[in-house]
Amino acid sequence: MSAALPIPAIQVLQVLTVACASPGVSGSIAKVEARLQGRRGPRIRQPYFDLAKLCRKEALAPEGASWFFLAAPLVAVTCYLTVPLLIPVLTSYPLPLGYMGDILGGGFILSLASFVVAVAALETGSPYAQMGSSRAKTFGAITEPVVLFVVFTVALVTGTDLPYALAATVRSSASQIIRPAHLLAAAALFMVILSETGRIPVETHTGTNEFGMIEEARLFEHSGPYFALLKLGSAMKQLILFIILGNVFIAPWGLAATTRPADVALAIVALLAKAAGIGIVVAVIDNSFAKLRLFKITEFAAGAFLLAVLGVFTLYLGGG
Amino acid sequence: MHAAQVGAVADGAPSVFTGGANLVAVIVLLLEFGMFRQALLRDQVRLYAAQSSAVCALTVIVAAARHLPELYLLAALSAALKVVAVPAVLRRVLRGTQHEIAGSGALSLASTVLLAIAVAAFGFFAVGRLGIQGPALPKTALGVAIAVVLVAFVLMIVRRDVVSQSVGFFSLENGVSLAALVVAAQMPLILAVAFLFDLLVAVVVFGVLIRFHHGRAESLSTAELTSLRG
Repeated sequence: MSAALPIPAIQVLQVLTVACASPGVSGSIAKVEARLQGRRGPRIRQPYFDLAKLCRKEALAPEGASWFFLAAPLVAVTCYLTVPLLIPVLTSYPLPLGYMGDILGGGFILSLASFVVAVAALETGSPYAQMGSSRAKTFGAITEPVVLFVVFTVALVTGTDLPYALAATVRSSASQIIRPAHLLAAAALFMVILSETGRIPVETHTGTNEFGMIEEARLFEHSGPYFALLKLGSAMKQLILFIILGNVFIAPWGLAATTRPADVALAIVALLAKAAGIGIVVAVIDNSFAKLRLFKITEFAAGAFLLAVLGVFTLYLGGG
Repeated sequence: MHAAQVGAVADGAPSVFTGGANLVAVIVLLLEFGMFRQALLRDQVRLYAAQSSAVCALTVIVAAARHLPELYLLAALSAALKVVAVPAVLRRVLRGTQHEIAGSGALSLASTVLLAIAVAAFGFFAVGRLGIQGPALPKTALGVAIAVVLVAFVLMIVRRDVVSQSVGFFSLENGVSLAALVVAAQMPLILAVAFLFDLLVAVVVFGVLIRFHHGRAESLSTAELTSLRG
């Protein structure tokens, strides 16, 4: 049919899709969650209105905070805008900048963003923000080995750790899907995602009790457009992690194989459907489990670590 | 050019049968790990029943894929025994004791899991070095089976109550039957059934032990045994 889209345009489109769709994904999770609890819940578009409202407000910085406090949201959002360049968001074929970094590279950029936000929280001198950033870094260090073992599994399965390669391998045959190493790694990654996006059983997403907060507490002192950027950033981080789980591990189907606009548009729809599907699962988990006590989070991380390590073991024995 | 590269690096995955069989074996191992987490004794028995049914499912898979009809009979027998009868007996014993919650283990849960991972790794790689190749199942399943046995030992050592320890022992038997399935799937049926009846003896012994211990110490915890009674 119509002419092909230029490759750079598709690459930009990947970033734009993530940036524009992520608040909507958060909104639909909130909606599903509310429906499961018997409430009507906010509109799916509510996060967009929230962001627009925040952008109209004035931005304040705590006394004594340096320029870094205001620069951090910008750096964080830039990081989140970089990652969609590296992962298969819309296309099954690798885009030129997709080889800039592997899964570990993407992980480093994500952790850079979280590090910058944590440092900004330390700048404020506010106890809750500092507690949040300290906790986020502690639990981040606990889940890090899980991520590493998931990457090892990918590397052992594909011989490389490029996300495109794993997606191609999973697509190649049914025996790649049913092999235990792949399923164990996907399950471990899902548990990491629950913990990284601040979901139950690690953290209540909508809670207002500061003592239970981990990720959310870091943003307390930010206001106005900067706060809006951080909100957008955490929504983007959630969608990026969903995309890595969906498009690389669980369901790398429905991606555009050509550069035709119709295929790319279809890929966007498929992406949103997959993200909504994962979101529904997350919402169901949110409603069916209790939040773990802070000191029990290590048990959750130990469970994820078990899955990831077993994946590597079965691969080493040659049968995974 | 990149796309061709990407397609080529995918190394040989095991066949769907091998992958599926290994997956069920790994599920058996994961259920064994789940027993560490379970604090309610009733739920622990339920996990044991789930684990036994996973072993039976694997038996049926092997029977279907390798055309060994007597394994269907074995699967049915062990399902009747290990999924229905043994858990029922355990539940009955538990009902008599009025205890619901297992005592906490000797180690914290996260450390126990890490310890068990190390022990399971030892089992995995020790068996991997042996190079035993069964006719019916891949050797990964054998490694998993040995890991189940070792992790069951960890469960029995770490937990300080009689019920967890007996469930640990029964699940150890699950690991052994998994190993038997890998090494000797064509074992004469009469032998396999004889092993099952060994389990029955163990159930009777443990049932008596739980009753007796509860009668003397008024609790299921083995920590009471450290104090001398005059």
